Amino acid sequence: MQIRPILATLRYHKAGTLLIALQIALTLAIVCNALFIIHQRLGQLSRPSGVDESDLLLVHNQWAGKPDADEVASMMASDLATLRNLPGVANVYATNTYPLSGEGTVFGIGHSPDKKTYTDSTAIYFVDDNALATLGLRLIAGRNFRPDEIGASSKHSKIEPDEIIITQALAHHLFPDASAVGKAVYLSRKPSIIIGVVGRMRTPWVDSSMAKWDEYSTLLPYRRLEGYTEYVIRTQPGQLDDVARRVKATLYAANRMRVISPKNGVRTFADVGAQAYNSDRGMAILMGAISLIMLTITGAGIVGLTSFWVGQRRKQIGVRRALGATQRDILSYFLTENLLIGVAGVIVGGVLAIGLNLWLMNQFEMEKLAMGYVVAGVAILLVLGQGAVLAPALRASKVPPVEATRSV
Amino acid sequence: MLKMTHLSKVYRTEVVETYALRDFNINVKEGEFVAVTGPSGSGKTTFLTIAGLLETFTGGEYHLDGVEVSNLDDNARSKIRNEKIGFIFQAFNLIPDLNVFDNVEVPLRYRGMKGPERKERIMSALERVGLASRAKHYPAELSGGQQQRVAIARALAGTPRLLLADEPTGNLDTQMARGVLELLEEIHREGATIVMVTHDPELAARAQRNVHIIDGQVVDLAEDPRFHTAYTAAAGQVRS
Repeated sequence: MQIRPILATLRYHKAGTLLIALQIALTLAIVCNALFIIHQRLGQLSRPSGVDESDLLLVHNQWAGKPDADEVASMMASDLATLRNLPGVANVYATNTYPLSGEGTVFGIGHSPDKKTYTDSTAIYFVDDNALATLGLRLIAGRNFRPDEIGASSKHSKIEPDEIIITQALAHHLFPDASAVGKAVYLSRKPSIIIGVVGRMRTPWVDSSMAKWDEYSTLLPYRRLEGYTEYVIRTQPGQLDDVARRVKATLYAANRMRVISPKNGVRTFADVGAQAYNSDRGMAILMGAISLIMLTITGAGIVGLTSFWVGQRRKQIGVRRALGATQRDILSYFLTENLLIGVAGVIVGGVLAIGLNLWLMNQFEMEKLAMGYVVAGVAILLVLGQGAVLAPALRASKVPPVEATRSV
Repeated sequence: MLKMTHLSKVYRTEVVETYALRDFNINVKEGEFVAVTGPSGSGKTTFLTIAGLLETFTGGEYHLDGVEVSNLDDNARSKIRNEKIGFIFQAFNLIPDLNVFDNVEVPLRYRGMKGPERKERIMSALERVGLASRAKHYPAELSGGQQQRVAIARALAGTPRLLLADEPTGNLDTQMARGVLELLEEIHREGATIVMVTHDPELAARAQRNVHIIDGQVVDLAEDPRFHTAYTAAAGQVRS
């Protein structure tokens, strides 16, 4: 292999060589991290919310006229009855929030009333005894709330539930070696007994900074009697669109003292998911586009530089052919030359990729870049380089030996 | 060593056919030093490119070292160029990106020769042309005469059976040209077959035998009244 003379030639053409190697390095650094971000974001998109998302309808109801807690309780009870009677509705409950909504409440949770010992956070869902059936949550231990256990939560009341239901992830975290059912935990100064454990139920938030506890959810037996109420409705199979069309008019007909936004007031769970992951999807598309642009520019750069070098060295190629080089020798010369530049580029690029990831970890709490992405990036860049150089290298191999005798 | 019989080379365009060589016959024996002369456009360089397998020909036969080359594929032609032919070009044709050592090494690498043997041959060839001390220099750092000596070393390193020189002193001043010519004569005395294309009568006069090409054909000047006067006069001036 003629690596030493190729290196000598590359030293002779320092500027072009360094520029392309640097371009490859930067592209690798950016593409590795972009692919990693894309994978993370797509991972978010594909994570199940834990609820049975089909046939689920959400209504955001803002009470008008500043009603007090008793009035809200009365109107809410009336609404729940109305909705239950609406044709096509299978179940319904009122709550403060639901998975992927983007808004909600976080409590500290621990094994003692001293808040300093709270080691974890949990999303809080105010629910009643219909929540599990409406959301399609699977109770894997213990029991559901009873109707008589459902309390009221107003602006100034303390949240001190006697019973709670938690997710399996939280239960396993709090009690890794034993069943959580029947155990006491603290959300306030009073102990709350875990009466049930449900399978998966995501928190309202989807961003990666909360990934560590995004299945740490706690269900409290409360009706929230404040300015707004979220109604979660499960429709009969196939009735989702029909109920979605009629629900707003039905609620207004029952009581006009409310505002249901024409834009986002009534949403399917699919709408909620789409909105929740909008930024993830956008980021994945942006990163994909940036990667594609970088790869295209690098590929074009390699094609451009090699084409220029082939044109510039046409006579030299003819001389090599005259001295006995076969077409294959010339092809292999340019492929090897590109591979050497590519290898230099990916070595620097690998270091840059890790450096960029460290910076992103520092600045944006990004996770550590898996080495698989660097390896994949290196493979992509080297294959791209060889692919890009192929056409000009083939052109070079077609330069006839008689070119050696032609004057420039 | 080199035998062309009724060889022709035609360049065709849509409207015209141009014969660069027509019914061309030549026979160069092993160990001969032959000068090929002729006016510009006569076909000297075309003859040389075909002789060196840099170009194909249209008709006739060409035997090089006993092998009929017209049906050889590109790889076989490359192999013959590499192993049997040494080229010396008017413009030296050194690779500017490579130093003297690497330039001389080029044909040896294509032969697949091992490193130690390559090094030995390169240094021996450079010593032969008096440039061993310049092995690490780049072509741009050498004079024209030195560059042509490097080109000769490159041609010699592969120990070719046939040395083809195309106006080897065309780009050199008189003193440098003399040095290069003396080197070629020395190489010939040691047994090499040399075919040199030139339009310089003085240079041609130093060869063992002159072959004259006019309009793509070998002619005997003594029997051609068109050029008799001009060429004999020129040769006479040189010899006197």
